[in-house]
Amino acid sequence: MQAAGTVQKKKLWSFGTREVVYAAIGAALYGVLAWLTNVIQIPSAGNVSVRPAVAIPMFFGVAFGPIVGFISGFLGNIISDLLSGYGFWFWWDLGNGLMGLFPGLIYLTITRYRDRTAILRAEVMVFVGVIVGMGVAAISEMWVSGVDFGTTFLVNFLPAVITNLIWGLILVPVLMVAYDAVVSRSGR
Amino acid sequence: MFVTWGYRFRNSLMDKTDPRARWIFSLCFLFSIVQFWDIRFLLVFFALAAVWYAISRVTFHETRRAWTFVFFLMSMMIIVNTIITSGGAAGVVVGPGHPVFELNFQIPLVHREVSFVLTIERLWFALTQVVRILPISGIFLIIPFTMDPRLYGFTFKGLGFPDRFAFSMDLAFRYVPTLARDFSATLDAQKARGYEIERVEGGLITQVRRVAPLIIPVTMSSILGGEDMINAMDLRCFGLRARTWVYTTSYHWFDYLLIVFSVVMLVTSVVLSILGYGRFWVPPALIS
Repeated sequence: MQAAGTVQKKKLWSFGTREVVYAAIGAALYGVLAWLTNVIQIPSAGNVSVRPAVAIPMFFGVAFGPIVGFISGFLGNIISDLLSGYGFWFWWDLGNGLMGLFPGLIYLTITRYRDRTAILRAEVMVFVGVIVGMGVAAISEMWVSGVDFGTTFLVNFLPAVITNLIWGLILVPVLMVAYDAVVSRSGR
Repeated sequence: MFVTWGYRFRNSLMDKTDPRARWIFSLCFLFSIVQFWDIRFLLVFFALAAVWYAISRVTFHETRRAWTFVFFLMSMMIIVNTIITSGGAAGVVVGPGHPVFELNFQIPLVHREVSFVLTIERLWFALTQVVRILPISGIFLIIPFTMDPRLYGFTFKGLGFPDRFAFSMDLAFRYVPTLARDFSATLDAQKARGYEIERVEGGLITQVRRVAPLIIPVTMSSILGGEDMINAMDLRCFGLRARTWVYTTSYHWFDYLLIVFSVVMLVTSVVLSILGYGRFWVPPALIS
């Protein structure tokens, strides 16, 4: 048990009570908000939809760690797909999980969420996360759907990366600033 | 206060089936059906899903909202991605196809030529997509209405997930209706302040600015609400030892039968797919 007045040291890969709850909240949030926008399909893309909610797993990764970010993206995409009738697409779920995991890697470096350097680091990791996550998901279509590299690059990778990057790069800093205000008030 | 899924006890065959066996069947069904694009094979799965849906005794009145959304989403997907642009058919429908409708025109001012060709193959693919999506939707759509939410955690644990991950999944599924309600309340509150969701249009930056007033408050209020949950769990010593569950289930002979059937279905589907069966097929009579 911690002595009164001491602050528990953050650990990058911890999965305690706090992380369990926030992973669940992140997944449910992402699932619901993504489900609501799944009707907005990007024309001539392989069933890729416009999804502002993609910022949720990225933000949850930054705020609560890579495991929370991963579960928010992975499980959230499962929930969204189940609600929309898409079924279960493991590689796209994994890709969404990676989009939440990579921003979470800077979790320990952030002391104030509205600092310019913190936001800049988050933006860089959002970029990396989207490229890696959507890259994995798009490449998987080569053996799942039987498409060639060129087709999956144009039809799956590019539309998903462009839209997710735009939503992530704009909304994640907004969420970080809003969360900074919440943290300041609650003292956590 | 939490909002819950629309589950109720129906005294159906599905209520007697162990949720773990049902999840195994649902997942095996999903992984089996995605092996095929041949409508003749898909119709078998369609019939199986119809029987499964009938067993659940879920009424259309209960699920009409979900089905409305599924049909709307499916229509958008098929009309935009298959009929108009053919992006969704990439890799499945190969070759130029047999045209059934052609449209060539020039965009004024920019003088750009546009050629649109609708083929029999694309139309048949659209029909195949419908026959593929509806069973998948039916199998998974009834889960929240027919599975007791108190069993989610035990079910996921029983499927092999670690305690904390199983509990996280349990919480996530339970949170979905509550967050949907919170989103609706936030939308109403913002509308009362002059926010117009119908006017989420314009350039991308404008769209982001219009969507942010919905996403930010819902996210922050969810995080604040989570603090109470964390305190409650910490006070009950969550995570200190292996978790026990208040509500549990046990397998019966029909659960084992369902699991064996599911595994046989999946293995058979994978083998048939490897042997080359189930590829996209168009009736020869249509293209001759």
